Amino acid sequence: MVNPVLLIAVPLGLSFAIPLLGLVSKRIEKYVPIAALIFNLVVSALLIPEVIKQPINVFIGGFPPPFCINLVAGPVGVLFSALIALVGLLVSIYALDYIREGAKELYHVLYLLLLTGATGVVLTGDIFNLFVFFEILCISSYALVAYLGDKAGIESAVKYLIQGAVGSSLMLIGVGLLYGLFGTLNMADIASNIDSVSSISIFVPMVLLITGLGVEAAIFPLNAWLPDAHSSAPSSISAILSGIAIKVGIYAVARVIFTIFGASSILQFLVFLGLLTLLVGEVSAFSQNNIKRLLAYSSIGQIGLIVFALGMGISYGVVGGLFQLISHALSKALLFLAVGYMIYRTGSMDISSLEGMGKRMPITSLAFTIGAFSLVGMPPFIGFPSKFLIIRAALFKEEIMFTVLVAFVLLGTVIEGTYFFRVVQVLYFKGDHTNLQREEAPVPALIPIFILMVLIIVVGVYPKPVTNILNSASSELLNRIEYIRSVLG
Amino acid sequence: MNFLNSYIYYIGAFGLIFIGLYIVLVKRNLIKVIIGLSILDTGINLFLISIGYISKGTAPIFEKVEAKLARMVDPVPQALVLTAIVIGVAVLALALSLAIRLYHHYDTLNLRKIKDQRW
Repeated sequence: MVNPVLLIAVPLGLSFAIPLLGLVSKRIEKYVPIAALIFNLVVSALLIPEVIKQPINVFIGGFPPPFCINLVAGPVGVLFSALIALVGLLVSIYALDYIREGAKELYHVLYLLLLTGATGVVLTGDIFNLFVFFEILCISSYALVAYLGDKAGIESAVKYLIQGAVGSSLMLIGVGLLYGLFGTLNMADIASNIDSVSSISIFVPMVLLITGLGVEAAIFPLNAWLPDAHSSAPSSISAILSGIAIKVGIYAVARVIFTIFGASSILQFLVFLGLLTLLVGEVSAFSQNNIKRLLAYSSIGQIGLIVFALGMGISYGVVGGLFQLISHALSKALLFLAVGYMIYRTGSMDISSLEGMGKRMPITSLAFTIGAFSLVGMPPFIGFPSKFLIIRAALFKEEIMFTVLVAFVLLGTVIEGTYFFRVVQVLYFKGDHTNLQREEAPVPALIPIFILMVLIIVVGVYPKPVTNILNSASSELLNRIEYIRSVLG
Repeated sequence: MNFLNSYIYYIGAFGLIFIGLYIVLVKRNLIKVIIGLSILDTGINLFLISIGYISKGTAPIFEKVEAKLARMVDPVPQALVLTAIVIGVAVLALALSLAIRLYHHYDTLNLRKIKDQRW
């Protein structure tokens, strides 16, 4: 058996080893993240069959919980860490060629730290430890948004930093209140004692935690930073922020609501918030002329859809939400990676400047098209089974309200389809195509793009293995008694 | 008076937290906003410490026989504050270095005038 603590320790150690290795040779540094993430991917893949049978608990320091910081490698945690390692690995291969200017060494250090923080958040079983890993994730992402040092990047990083810092302060107050109430920081221990205090006194820490985490998860109305940050960062970082960082926020919100508080009364509110986020995101994306802003707003919309699905609070809904989360991570990473080199070639982020790309960069354009169709939810891509599961879950509730809400979700999808088809039309059918040279993206960028395309189609055609994992993941999220029992024994 | 005695630390902590939030939300100068974040951090640290604080308490070390359990200060919040201070320093350092770069680009720190990015 592999110890899940290595999933955090190895990338953390390697990220700080990068400057040292840089003393030996300047060429090694960009391969270090790849090595660390291959390790993480392999370990997570090995752990998945084990944790489906029985979650693995790691007690740091040798004390039994609730006296130690513990890691809980359940199906949810390992599934997320595998997703983080997969997307992170592909993006770090892409960055081999894409990151050419600036402090490259620090880019790789921060990049690996960001993914370490994300892995830590999904594996930890201690609420203060969750805060610490969350801060590692946030601080590295503030710095990476400002990586290029241009006007837009610095401005969005400042906005992101102020909002993120206030958010994490609120979260820390929530953690402090919980410690004051229960005298413990272990999530399972808090969860088992949550019924012993009045619901009024847990309401304030719950609201503070959800608001604080909601800033990173970009739930409306806490998402003002997202379009700026995701559109001004380098494209490889946009892919990670959209694919991984906000998903980790969603995970933390779900963990707080489902496991710690077991608050089924707030789920109704979450469903409405999700729907509002979806509609706001899609409508704003519709009116964008900047391709990266369009993708960023579309991320807000998709986050809304995930929150909507998780908020249904039934097994079908959670499976659909988690599946949508995976499908969005893969598709949006593919879109940002494809757009990265298109912008690099044209030097402009205007959608109209992408005319004729279908001929200039055929593979990249094909990748964009597949990613867009997958997000809209067309078969045979991965977006189809995920959206299908969400809609099936909403109809399964057999409530008038959910039937009406699903109509709004489908309306959001129609808007999404409209703006994505408009971009695809510009790629292939607009403008003069006669004197165009082929100038495809370089090979290190095409490898991850190709792998993502294959994954999107293969999982879309054959979703069974993924849904099997998701079924046990959703039962871990929904069954808090089982979670408490597995940690405290 | 008794009420004030037992809750003085909480009142002070939340006072600082709300002052910090007010500055972050209202002030236009980026440096002032960063100062607000710092006050907010200080308030939270004070709040965390006061959760475990006992007036005239001792450190939780069992070296003397006569050490009384009830007089010992809870060490966990202090460990939390140590971590929170380090994180706060990192955020403030990053914020100040971003402020320097922002000033180079815009020649102003007035956040109302910096609005190239908008919805």
